[in-house]
Amino acid sequence: MDHMLPSPGFSIPSIGTPLAHSGEEEMILPSAQQQQQQQSAQQPQQQQQQQQQQQQQGQQQQQYTAGLPPHSLMQPHTPGVMSPAVGGMSAGSGMFGPATGPSTPAAGPMTPMTPHSNDPGIVPQLQNIVSTVNLNCKLELKKIALHARNAEYNPKRFAAVIMRIREPRTTALIFSSGKMVCTGAKSEEDSRLAARKYARIVQKLGFPAKFMEFKIQNMVGSCDVKFPIRLEGLVLTHSQFSSYEPELFPGLIYRMVKPRIVLLIFVSGKVVLTGAKVRNQIYEAFDNIYPILKSFKKQ
Amino acid sequence: MSSYQLYRNTTLGNTLQETLDELIQFQQISPSTALRVLLQFDRAINAALANKVRARINFKANKLNTYRFCDNVWTFLMTDVEFKEVQDFAQVDKLKIVACDGRGPGPGGASGGTAND
Repeated sequence: MDHMLPSPGFSIPSIGTPLAHSGEEEMILPSAQQQQQQQSAQQPQQQQQQQQQQQQQGQQQQQYTAGLPPHSLMQPHTPGVMSPAVGGMSAGSGMFGPATGPSTPAAGPMTPMTPHSNDPGIVPQLQNIVSTVNLNCKLELKKIALHARNAEYNPKRFAAVIMRIREPRTTALIFSSGKMVCTGAKSEEDSRLAARKYARIVQKLGFPAKFMEFKIQNMVGSCDVKFPIRLEGLVLTHSQFSSYEPELFPGLIYRMVKPRIVLLIFVSGKVVLTGAKVRNQIYEAFDNIYPILKSFKKQ
Repeated sequence: MSSYQLYRNTTLGNTLQETLDELIQFQQISPSTALRVLLQFDRAINAALANKVRARINFKANKLNTYRFCDNVWTFLMTDVEFKEVQDFAQVDKLKIVACDGRGPGPGGASGGTAND
């Protein structure tokens, strides 16, 4: 129980759950996964059966209820992937209930990765993409600033021309070496298109600009899990990945190892993901963090 | 000790320059005198605008078409501008603003530039 959180990619054994009966779990799990989708339909049935069985057997009440009913009745800390599924299964095989006892499938060693834990259906939206490109020719920044529209050049403050275009709405930093940074685009294609437009502007001003080594350096995404999060709890259990200093910054900074993404997690349930080089890293990181966040939902 | 020569391209400044050119033509003054007059004009107008003027006016434009910042000079091009003062207001289709640093060589300032109705 001491070091149970190697990496968010694995399912997290629940804290303080009753004993797990692995034998029964093996039987229940595979079909239980399929039944997960039907959980909501079966919940009323489960509750009826639960009541009946509670009347029949007063023993082990606490553990008992843990085995049968839907996930919500489980102890709150359980990331409890499989328990709703178990509930679903037991609706069909009510006899098994007492024999199975309190089985908490979530703690089982054979619990796979948690991607199917309630697929959130939430997709992070890309908010910003930073890319660089090499125009491959020396530039005269003063000439660019004088002749291009929507350009700023203040060499005392910053040694680059800051140029903006409206479509796609982006900002570019153009350096005298010919290197350029393009920021503000909302998609990879937009970023590339914008960079090409800037290169075109520079070209029209008379410089032999090329479009070499275009590379996306950073992608930022954000989304909302729609429930409040217990950041204190999260920093306690995931201390090797999290840093949370509410006096410095109200968000928890979670540095995920695989994929290498930094997430800013806020009490409100909003999440910001950054550090990605490709879109899938953002999606993967969110899929990894979602079950963890669910387990730290504020009730 | 030099001031912005920004205000030479105003109605006042242009009229002065034309007058001086006329005087030079009739050889009543020398070109160097005209130059000194213009320099004095620069100093006077900068000082007057900085110290003697109290009136304020606000304006709001529908669209900022372009902006530029180079050599510490801002240039703005806007369309559909409305100047508002307490009682009346003026409307203008295109407006160009050229603005110099207020802390520049001597007191700086902004020159309204051309307004086309």
